[in-house]
Amino acid sequence: MNNGRKNTPNKLMPLQKGIFTRDISFSNLIASSVYITLAVSVAVFIIWPTIAILMESVYYDGQFTLTQYISLFTENQQLLLNSIWVSTLSTFLAVVLGLIVALFISHSANRGKKTVFAVLLLTLISPPFVSALSYIMLFGRRGIITYNLLGLNINPYGWHGVVLLQSIGHASIAALIILGVLRGIDKSLEQASLDLGANSLQTLLKITIPLAKPGIVAAALICFVQSLADFGTPVIIGGNFTVLATEAYLNVIGLYNLPRAAAMGTLLLIPALIMFIIYRNVVKNSQYFSVRQSNESTLVLSKWLNIILGVITWSFVAFQLIQYITILWGAFARTWGVDFSLSLKHINALGSSQIASFVRSLEYSFLAALIGSLIGLILAYMIERKKFPGYQILDFMVTLPYMIPGPFLGIAYVLAFHDYPLLLTGTAFIVVVNCIYRQLPIGTKAATTVLTQLNPEIEYGARDLGASEIHAFKDVVLPALKPAFLISFINTFTTTMITIGAIIFLMVPGSEVATVQMFNAIKTGDIGLSAVIANMIIIATLGINLAFSYFILRPARHKDTMEKEMAYVPAIEGIK
Amino acid sequence: MKKKALIFLMILMLAFTVVGCGEDNTADTQPTSEQPKLEGTTLKLFVAYDGEDEIFKAFTEDTGIKIEYLDMSSGEVLARIRAEQGKPLGDIWFGGGVDSFIAAKNDGLLEAYVSPEAEFIPAQYKDKEGYWTGISLVTVNFIVNTDRCKELGVDIPQTWTDLLAPQFKGEILMSNPSISGTAYTILSGLLQSMGEEEGWAYMDKLNEQIPFYAKRGSEPPQKAAMGEVTVGLAPDTGEALKAEGYPIVSVFPQDGTPWWPSPVAILKGAENLEGAKVFVDWCLSEKGQKILRDNCPRVPVRKGIEPPECLAGIKEAKLQDIDFEVAGNERDTTVEQWQEKYAQ
Repeated sequence: MNNGRKNTPNKLMPLQKGIFTRDISFSNLIASSVYITLAVSVAVFIIWPTIAILMESVYYDGQFTLTQYISLFTENQQLLLNSIWVSTLSTFLAVVLGLIVALFISHSANRGKKTVFAVLLLTLISPPFVSALSYIMLFGRRGIITYNLLGLNINPYGWHGVVLLQSIGHASIAALIILGVLRGIDKSLEQASLDLGANSLQTLLKITIPLAKPGIVAAALICFVQSLADFGTPVIIGGNFTVLATEAYLNVIGLYNLPRAAAMGTLLLIPALIMFIIYRNVVKNSQYFSVRQSNESTLVLSKWLNIILGVITWSFVAFQLIQYITILWGAFARTWGVDFSLSLKHINALGSSQIASFVRSLEYSFLAALIGSLIGLILAYMIERKKFPGYQILDFMVTLPYMIPGPFLGIAYVLAFHDYPLLLTGTAFIVVVNCIYRQLPIGTKAATTVLTQLNPEIEYGARDLGASEIHAFKDVVLPALKPAFLISFINTFTTTMITIGAIIFLMVPGSEVATVQMFNAIKTGDIGLSAVIANMIIIATLGINLAFSYFILRPARHKDTMEKEMAYVPAIEGIK
Repeated sequence: MKKKALIFLMILMLAFTVVGCGEDNTADTQPTSEQPKLEGTTLKLFVAYDGEDEIFKAFTEDTGIKIEYLDMSSGEVLARIRAEQGKPLGDIWFGGGVDSFIAAKNDGLLEAYVSPEAEFIPAQYKDKEGYWTGISLVTVNFIVNTDRCKELGVDIPQTWTDLLAPQFKGEILMSNPSISGTAYTILSGLLQSMGEEEGWAYMDKLNEQIPFYAKRGSEPPQKAAMGEVTVGLAPDTGEALKAEGYPIVSVFPQDGTPWWPSPVAILKGAENLEGAKVFVDWCLSEKGQKILRDNCPRVPVRKGIEPPECLAGIKEAKLQDIDFEVAGNERDTTVEQWQEKYAQ
């Protein structure tokens, strides 16, 4: 990266013609060198690992071969089918559930909308394996609900559990994305439909939901990719049901068959890419969008519709909360399944290594969030406003990590950075970088969404009044980007706190983070300790997110709280 | 105003370099040929051993050498050091399945070191050339949930054959041999003691009893303790689980107990080589052996040190006759064979 930084400005001079008609000055030089630096870093930390993993899948002993793919398609069709089946089903359920919850918040006459919204945000902070762990604690053969309360002795392992947990787990993000779009649609269209004699159900089905289509498809894309990439849930509760992601994980950590794992990773990309193309088409062909949030909907739902939405939404909320309560209880129960009485022994048993890795998690997450958000904002500005040469390519490159399943980016990093001149494995740097670039799509898209809604005339005005490029950016654009920065920070911080899929491959002694400690605690079967760590992660993440939101949004304190909440939504919606 | 822009840019670049430099200062331990000053240096360990926190605390008190470690199954460590192609990520590999250590030795990923303490360790528990040295003996146990046995109306299984009883269908948990040293030793031990043909035939039948293969070595005993299954095949007697109050007993399979020496080895290219040697010496010393035993109930390898009380039964157990060299050399092919038969 250092090399790329030094010799770039001069080389770029000719390109600036036509872009900067106003002033070719020192500040533009800086702007272009920042652009080049970031573009090079994206190439190094996103594209190069992707190439490295693709190469690994088709080269064996220095020769080009497609054996891995052929054997996957001939012998392991079942894996492919399992993956697609589970992902499709849980995506469908997650989106339906998400839509219901979103409609509940945006359109129904029920109480407690803010509570539901808060629960949605809370559930974004769920450390890996926690839902699977609480599922076994609750519904296992000796689960407190199935065995202790209902006296059942059922086998909880199999694809049903995976689909259940994934669809409920992903419903939160689906609901938030759809909600963002629902709030943005022009409510006068609904009014028109009502005026023309349609009833509320007809209006909902024929006007509201079709208008929300881009959000629904975006939600489907996110859920689908996350299900495909999820190896934690099937590993813990899948039983003998395996999917591509679990097998790829096993191929790396157990069998050291990197070519095969790389091929599996590449195969996971294909359905994700197809979903992405579908999504792009839907968004392109839809002409929804009123930028300003219109007033509360005038659509009054029928009593029964209200009840149905309410029952489903509250069941969803109850299920989510029960999971958190279970984990909280697990941290204080003497021995889960044997002695449920409260005790502090698991907290007292926390060792220095657990504390150290927890502190490390906080440090890494903070660094990744801060640097990643800054990079995201600047990239968005350069892509959306400046339209530097090659910005479309850069845009695509930045979006890529969202389609790459976590474990494969981890393996890709191992393959790409274990050798000179990019010898970086074994450092804390590479862990943080991995988290930054994995989350870059969110930060960039959040900022892009805000920028498309920010009239460029304001910047021109500032420029006309004599402000420099940088000044216009700093004083006009940056303040407007605050919500996007907040989203990006919170998203990167949260995901880095709870991530494991990619970075587990990058851990070395001395760089261990809390999630990996938790993984080990679950491995050794220590429910108490894993629950304690899970709670520490949840509480710390929640606390820092709240503190940071307060800090960033403080000037807007007097405004409606709903507007504050909205800050979360455009960015999540912005994942396009 | 341009100054501000410059400052902004510099902060950005600085942020990058600061993150980058964060870890560099750990490589400050150049071993000097004479009196090496090891106090205050750091050792990096990959660990598959229980009670590690207490063990390392005692080591640091004795030697002044600090320890940073990462818990990892031996199969995972093997995969990692292979993937890094010999680039050192740590100094020591502490505990796990001996098969992985032998495979790593064959791949040239370990550093040979014959500790002066190794003369007190019987030959079958260590590598001739000193690439790895056993620190304790691990035995495979059935961890049996007594409540579940009552519900099923069966006696506590005592032999491998007992596990094939029809009541145990779906009630026995074993981990995946490609990851877990325990599971691989069971597989290799049964194949060696029964012979290839009979061994695989037994595995076929056992496979019918197993609902799924756990992806983590210590999951089976935990699942058995929680009553999710009745029998878990485990690398220890589950003392910690018993202490938690779970209704379990441990059984040494009477028709042959698989076992292996859990080794310590120095990784090739270790940055703190001298410190690593001190660590190996300490593990094998009389004091180190007692500390290991007291924090993780396993049979010490060093002559003259009594096994922990909970393992007293091991004297009556019939230990399998296992050739670890064979187990290690055949690891890749055996695992692949297993994978083809049962993984789908």
